[in-house]
Amino acid sequence: MYRYLPSLFLTVILTFVFVIPMGCGSKQQGTSTSPSANPQQKQTVSPSAKKVKVAFITNNASDFWKIAEAGTKKASQDFGVDVIFRIPSAGTAEQQQQILQDLITLGVAGIAISPKDPENQTEMLNDAAQKTNLITQDSDAPNSLRKCYIGTNNFDAGVEAGKLVQACTPQGSKIIICVGTLDAQNARDRLEGLKKQIESTGHQIIDVRTDETDRAKAIANVQDALVRYPDVACFVGLWSYNGPAILNGVRDSGKLGQVKIVCFDEEDETLQGVKDGHIYGTVVQRPFEFGYQSVRILKELAEGNTSSVPENKQIFIPTLSITKENVDAFWSELKQILGKS
Amino acid sequence: MRKALGLVGLIIVLCVLAYVWEYLHWYQHSKDLGISFTSNFLSLTNFKNLLPWIGLFGILALAQSIVIITGGIDLSIGSVVCLVSVVSCILINKGQGWSPFLIFPFALCISILIGIWHGTLISYFNIQPFVVTLCGLFAYRSFARFFAGDTTQGFGNALPNWKWLGKGTLLDWFPSLQPSVGTAPSTITLLMDLVAAPLVIMIFFTIIVGLFLHLSPMGRHLFALGANEESARFSGIQTQRLKLLAYVICSLIAGIGGLLFAFKVNSVQPSDFGSFYELYAVAGAVLGGCSLRGGTGNVIGVILGIALIMVLRNLVNILGIRSELEYVVIGGAILAGVCADEFFMRRTQKKRTIEAQRETK
Repeated sequence: MYRYLPSLFLTVILTFVFVIPMGCGSKQQGTSTSPSANPQQKQTVSPSAKKVKVAFITNNASDFWKIAEAGTKKASQDFGVDVIFRIPSAGTAEQQQQILQDLITLGVAGIAISPKDPENQTEMLNDAAQKTNLITQDSDAPNSLRKCYIGTNNFDAGVEAGKLVQACTPQGSKIIICVGTLDAQNARDRLEGLKKQIESTGHQIIDVRTDETDRAKAIANVQDALVRYPDVACFVGLWSYNGPAILNGVRDSGKLGQVKIVCFDEEDETLQGVKDGHIYGTVVQRPFEFGYQSVRILKELAEGNTSSVPENKQIFIPTLSITKENVDAFWSELKQILGKS
Repeated sequence: MRKALGLVGLIIVLCVLAYVWEYLHWYQHSKDLGISFTSNFLSLTNFKNLLPWIGLFGILALAQSIVIITGGIDLSIGSVVCLVSVVSCILINKGQGWSPFLIFPFALCISILIGIWHGTLISYFNIQPFVVTLCGLFAYRSFARFFAGDTTQGFGNALPNWKWLGKGTLLDWFPSLQPSVGTAPSTITLLMDLVAAPLVIMIFFTIIVGLFLHLSPMGRHLFALGANEESARFSGIQTQRLKLLAYVICSLIAGIGGLLFAFKVNSVQPSDFGSFYELYAVAGAVLGGCSLRGGTGNVIGVILGIALIMVLRNLVNILGIRSELEYVVIGGAILAGVCADEFFMRRTQKKRTIEAQRETK
């Protein structure tokens, strides 16, 4: 019996190796290699013969990027462009580099990337920018040679959150900030904007707790903060999962309604919380527009048209503040985009 | 047992330190403002927050300790947690009204299969546990992300009774005892509110695993296997089958823990749900006296070990130590605990050898 075990083992391994790629394979059609797609060469080919091929690279896997993907799909239809949408599964800078190199080898006409670690990735971005049209989206790398940046102005988003805080708490209230890590530029900018806005009304930030994107820990942080600061008036969650985490933590501590919540982004639980009145408001970015506009700009750049790129090379897509008044409309639109019932 | 006492001592020392810290902080900052001193750390609310987390992580640490006792390691626990949660969330949401009584056992069957897979490779094909489970760590999370299409999963507002298992307390069973608004709750109410469901489940598992490991013949064989596999085999123990069993139990308990985590958090992002939890489990087990070389350890120690880690995590928040420094505190404390343990063990061993030498003279 034992004689057959190695072959059995081999069979199992082979099944793994072959079945899994087949399962995923259907999604990756259309990324087959194309002849070198230099922007200059592109123009000589007639548009009907060859579609412009552009790529969109995210920084991790989340619903946020699902919405952006919907935006890129819409744009690919509207402008007749092939879009390759890539999600670095581990969400690391190394992986982004690999994807970037692969895409350049593939010969895409333009790439929109959300750099994970802009400071340290500058060299990599410059390399890519010399070979193709590179723009950044969602997170900027101002020191690189990128053609332009499309995304949220996080400072302004922080200001918007500050306005929500001022609307739901009296002057001089105490506020606690929850965030994944503070080394991310968007977290810093949002915090700065928030600080700037609430300065005038004497609101004070008494603590900032980080959770390294561990959702369980994010809840524990809120519970602990409620113990340590019984007089806190409002929690502000800077990253998307912080909203539901704060809601859960406050609910577990039985302080629903007493403590106000302001957060960012549009997780289902956040929107449900806004609808139920447990969360005062959430500031949402518009990833759909990130995707749509990125593809549009990349197509124009591939055709040698730089008219849409402003002087300062930054295209800001304004945020929306979602409160009880407009949550229903926003949510149904979102569900439509994501194809959820 | 001495180990357990040492850990209890360490936890008490930590509590006292935290209390003193809080007192000093109050003395410096708030005394002159006329605010009376209250300890946040040693408060009822804080324990109410802390105990469920100890329960949840304790279950994972128990799972881990069984494998560590055989001299192996299971690095895939966090990914198993993720996979089981994701699969059950998907089935609940898209399963066309399948009964949860069908779905959750099905999800746990996956974790049992994972255990069988690990155990077979490790004991029948002699592949190192570290390698097998490391590959599992990569693979199962990836499966989970594939099944979920990389979207966040959750139970939404469904299954309130099941969620009780993750976030409820004993008090929920007695609605008549719920404190009405404005009145001070009675002592019984407060105590019952402390008994969190995951904690009870953890205690249940501690008893089961404890009985299995320390009192059943099979458990003792497990220790023998961990101490010296060859001699265990020569003395007639079915080491291969036993090892397989250890991995199956480990994955099963990890899967159950995963479900509880999902009930508690109710928002499962496949890319990071449960990541690093295996390392918390290893740390708890090691701190609790399990040697990574196998053959030693007991369940009480493991539970106390994980409790210590959770208390540290909580302390960092309550004392307002900067979040960045959290892992310095945890890492430092674990290292200190293990070093102290080694030191005391050497001393007793030295004493014993000296006594033995005296007797022979």
